[in-house]
Amino acid sequence: MSNYPVAETNRQMKPNQSFHLQLKKRTWKVFIILLTCFLALLFLGPYIYLLLTSLKPSSEAVSSPPTLWPSKFTFESYIGMFEYLPIGKYFVNSLVAAVASTALSVFLGALGAYGLSRFSSKIGNVFLLFTLSIRMVPMISIAIPMYMIIQNIGLIDTKLALILVYTSINVPFAIWLMIGFFDSIPKEFDEAARVDGCSRFGAFMKVILPISLPGLATTSIFTFMLAWNDFLFALLMTSTEAKTATVGISEFLTAYNLDLGPMTAAAVSFSLPVMIFSFFVQRYIVSGMTLGAVKE
Amino acid sequence: MKYTNSKLSILFFLPAGLFMGVFLLYPLFLLVKDSLFTYNLLDPAAKQFVGLTNYVSALTSERFLQSTWNTVIYIVGAVGTEFVLGLLLALLLNTGFRGSQSIRTLLLAPLMLAPLVSGLIWKFMLNDQFGVINWGLYKLGILSDPHQVLWLSDSKYALLSTIIADVWLTTPFMMLVLLAGLQGIPKGLYEASQIDGANKWQTFRYVTLPSLAPVAIVAVLIRMIDAARTFDIVWVLTKGGPGFSSEVLSTYMYKMLTRYGQVGEASAMAVIFIVLLLALSSFFISKIWSPSHEKK
Repeated sequence: MSNYPVAETNRQMKPNQSFHLQLKKRTWKVFIILLTCFLALLFLGPYIYLLLTSLKPSSEAVSSPPTLWPSKFTFESYIGMFEYLPIGKYFVNSLVAAVASTALSVFLGALGAYGLSRFSSKIGNVFLLFTLSIRMVPMISIAIPMYMIIQNIGLIDTKLALILVYTSINVPFAIWLMIGFFDSIPKEFDEAARVDGCSRFGAFMKVILPISLPGLATTSIFTFMLAWNDFLFALLMTSTEAKTATVGISEFLTAYNLDLGPMTAAAVSFSLPVMIFSFFVQRYIVSGMTLGAVKE
Repeated sequence: MKYTNSKLSILFFLPAGLFMGVFLLYPLFLLVKDSLFTYNLLDPAAKQFVGLTNYVSALTSERFLQSTWNTVIYIVGAVGTEFVLGLLLALLLNTGFRGSQSIRTLLLAPLMLAPLVSGLIWKFMLNDQFGVINWGLYKLGILSDPHQVLWLSDSKYALLSTIIADVWLTTPFMMLVLLAGLQGIPKGLYEASQIDGANKWQTFRYVTLPSLAPVAIVAVLIRMIDAARTFDIVWVLTKGGPGFSSEVLSTYMYKMLTRYGQVGEASAMAVIFIVLLLALSSFFISKIWSPSHEKK
């Protein structure tokens, strides 16, 4: 480039060159967009396929060759799923266990995190370390002795058993998430509340909890998801009365192997509301997801 | 002041601590204790102290070693693929073309999906009779017969199928965390490398990758722990079969407990599992701490 007679050629070359450069840049950009769309489709495709299948006539769900687009849209499978299994009851069980354990674990977690965040001490650090390391224990290993305990206190196949199990799994996680939020609230807030005559607990309930609502929301979403999506503990600890939706849905596979339409309908009913909800609260999800990995 | 800080800290932490003590710490203690006994669920009276016998029989059992090896393949295969795909997606979205924001939002929704549902979707799509995958490969001319590959019932492909379901489910998580990491890299670093005359590849190699490393390591660690304890996906897709070709540690332990009622041996395996996982995590964590401490 440097051996061009600069002054002359630059003036002539520039429009031409920048046109090429622009073309190259634009092709590159189109390529990036196409590739991204292709990958996004790859990840959304299977779910869309599930959704479409649930709206096909039930027999078409297992036709060979398979169809992508339903020949006609029908809610046949959605009605059908209630005929096979008491799926409504399973959904209620899931909801009760998830909501109750979320409320309990978020409250206990917030209280504990506040204690650890505000009054740092050596013991507090030991607690925090324990809280973090418990997150690394594989669920199945803890499931074995938990099953024994639940059996010993006679709670097998009850919703209470699920609530207790989900709460204990979620409490360390709730503490972990909430500490970050409490740390970001200045101590002056507590002190002001104390001056106004609140007790320590009063300051926590009346001042700190209300301003950490975004943190509580984030934590609630994640604890709810863990309980709602759980399959292992529900499979292990429930049989008829307290069976949850995940276990119920998985039974479509074994019991009614040839009629998978209702299964797809149940899977969609189970997951679509949550996906739509998460779409609206994505701000909280992003902050929660990235909190562990991306600090500061 | 009536209470010292550490006493207050304990007071706030107490409810959460009690919960974790009863439902997490005590079970862990039970787990270690049970691993030293012959303990059969079907005949609890015949409980007998056997020392480390359970550990010896676990470590010398071919099925346990096979499950451990499968778990390792599962972790490496799933997390490796997720990392590459997630990084690619994150880099593409980080170019910030118009519409990239909406694609990111769309890719967030499946993050809330239950592993069970991912298992069901892929069980459906990989079916050798009416599955859309085989038909697609047949139409593309890759397969000569749409019923050729028995994804779930051929021991060659069973583990691969479970990995596919895992990759599909959790790549968006990897993408999200890496994208957050990419957006946290100071713009000044890129300007500096541009002034130094670095090309695109050099910038990526010497600016992007090192700055992203701490975030990437945490993301990989989180995913590795989750992949190690995977249960739902494998259980729904193959139940560890055919034979033991896709048996991972968690499904094997589950069978050990529920089918054979062998609490002692299942507990010993669980303890080995926890130790392996803690060793792996602490290796990774030591990797994270050193670079981030140097920087500050």
